[in-house]
Amino acid sequence: MFLLSLTRIIRFALQNFYRNIWLSIVTITVIILTLFSLTSLIVINAGVNQAILTVKNKVDISIYFKTATAENTVNDFKEKINSYASVKEVNFISANEALEKFKNNHKNDQLIQNALQELESNPLGPTLTIKTYDVNLYPQILNQLKIDKVDQLAEEIDYDDNKLVIERLEVISQKVQKLGLIISIIFAIISLLVVFNTIRIGIYTHKDEIGIMKLVGAGNWFVRVPFLLEGIFYALLGSIFFWFLFYVAAGFLQPFLSSFFIDINFNLMSYLVSHFLYIFGFELIIMIVLNMISSFIAIGKYLRV
Amino acid sequence: MIQFRNVSKIYPPDVHALKNATFHIKPGEFVFLVGQSGTGKTTAVRLLIAEEKISNGRIIVGGWDITHIPRRHVPLLRRQIGVVWQDFKLLPKKTAFENIAFALEVSGAENSRIQKIVPQVLKIVGLEDKANRYPAQLSGGEQQRISIARALVHRPKILVADEPTGNLDAVNTREIIDILQKINEFGTTVLLVTHNRDVVNSLKKRVITLDHGVVVADQEKGRYFL
Repeated sequence: MFLLSLTRIIRFALQNFYRNIWLSIVTITVIILTLFSLTSLIVINAGVNQAILTVKNKVDISIYFKTATAENTVNDFKEKINSYASVKEVNFISANEALEKFKNNHKNDQLIQNALQELESNPLGPTLTIKTYDVNLYPQILNQLKIDKVDQLAEEIDYDDNKLVIERLEVISQKVQKLGLIISIIFAIISLLVVFNTIRIGIYTHKDEIGIMKLVGAGNWFVRVPFLLEGIFYALLGSIFFWFLFYVAAGFLQPFLSSFFIDINFNLMSYLVSHFLYIFGFELIIMIVLNMISSFIAIGKYLRV
Repeated sequence: MIQFRNVSKIYPPDVHALKNATFHIKPGEFVFLVGQSGTGKTTAVRLLIAEEKISNGRIIVGGWDITHIPRRHVPLLRRQIGVVWQDFKLLPKKTAFENIAFALEVSGAENSRIQKIVPQVLKIVGLEDKANRYPAQLSGGEQQRISIARALVHRPKILVADEPTGNLDAVNTREIIDILQKINEFGTTVLLVTHNRDVVNSLKKRVITLDHGVVVADQEKGRYFL
């Protein structure tokens, strides 16, 4: 009996779907557009976060050692600093490399080039650059460097120059995330309302039929469940079509994005692939629940026959 | 089979659609419920299938007191009374066959039974060749015959027809009345709500007359006199 009713209900839902094909197409289109705005927001948020991370990674602590410091000593320090828990990476730049880099950076400045030629020895010492897992850990590292007496051999530790940038970046990052969250919530609410109303209008067009079904002896659930199932079909098909279209679009856009955001290590395609289950699953569940709730509420009004 | 005992229906604030209506229709009878528009005929039908709640009085259908019928029992009641409406009330996106089958499907009938009974009732109303047509592809008379077939598919003991010929021409009206008579001859109690004077007068059946919500006449072999 239950199985018989279930197969009937599924059949009615499918019939409803394809015999009202234009309504189905419109509803699915609205779902696709809603998912587009939601997913775009998720992707933009991820891009912005990646951009902030990229900039953060560019900020580091540079220890400029005195010219007389032996490279072995510097390398010993490198090993020691590397063992700090908060340090991600330490790079050693020899005095010669530092000079080459400096020359290269100022190759068009004849005055500097001439001044360097006048000097008999390399004015630059070896350098260590430190990257951490979190910019907030910089003061702690600086403290540790003092304990290990690195500062005694250093000409300069230029964290202070970067401090302002880091602090500003932190503020901007937090604001961007907050703003992103607010915009996402507003967009999500708008999108959900659009889907909710589309489903309601769809049910409204069936209100006479719902009344007739009741008058010929159908129980509430017998009338209701096919519409709930239809809502699931809409959500499933809308999500599948959307993801197909979004992947195709992302494939086309990726080369342009890569060349435009050359410094930011953000690959749209690989982001979508690695987060597929997370985003797709989340959106699919949201859409199914939303469609079912919308249908449930909308039908309720017409079942009182 | 159908008992109305002092039944009143008041629509707020104080519209009395039915006032102390009392009548008793026996099994196998063919009864006309007549009266001018707005005299409470359709209200009586709506009360009979629990589409409306009774304000006062009692209604008993086949021994079942439906005066305070719980909502969950309403579908059971409706599956026991075949109803035919003036506007046919067919599901537009279902074929003639599916419309009739739907009335059985809601009660959990087996597919084999549906496949057997639906063609039989289609034959009774003479539309076995139009089973796969949608309502929009049928004439008014044909739609009404499908609606009758749907009402019959449960083999109900009572068939209520609310102005079934209201939207039909004379030829179709005659055909529908003939079908209803045939159904009555098989033993089904028929309550035919109408204000069609010719139909009432030609059949010489029992006539219950309503006027402003009040039963003003109840005659065996009656006539339409309003």
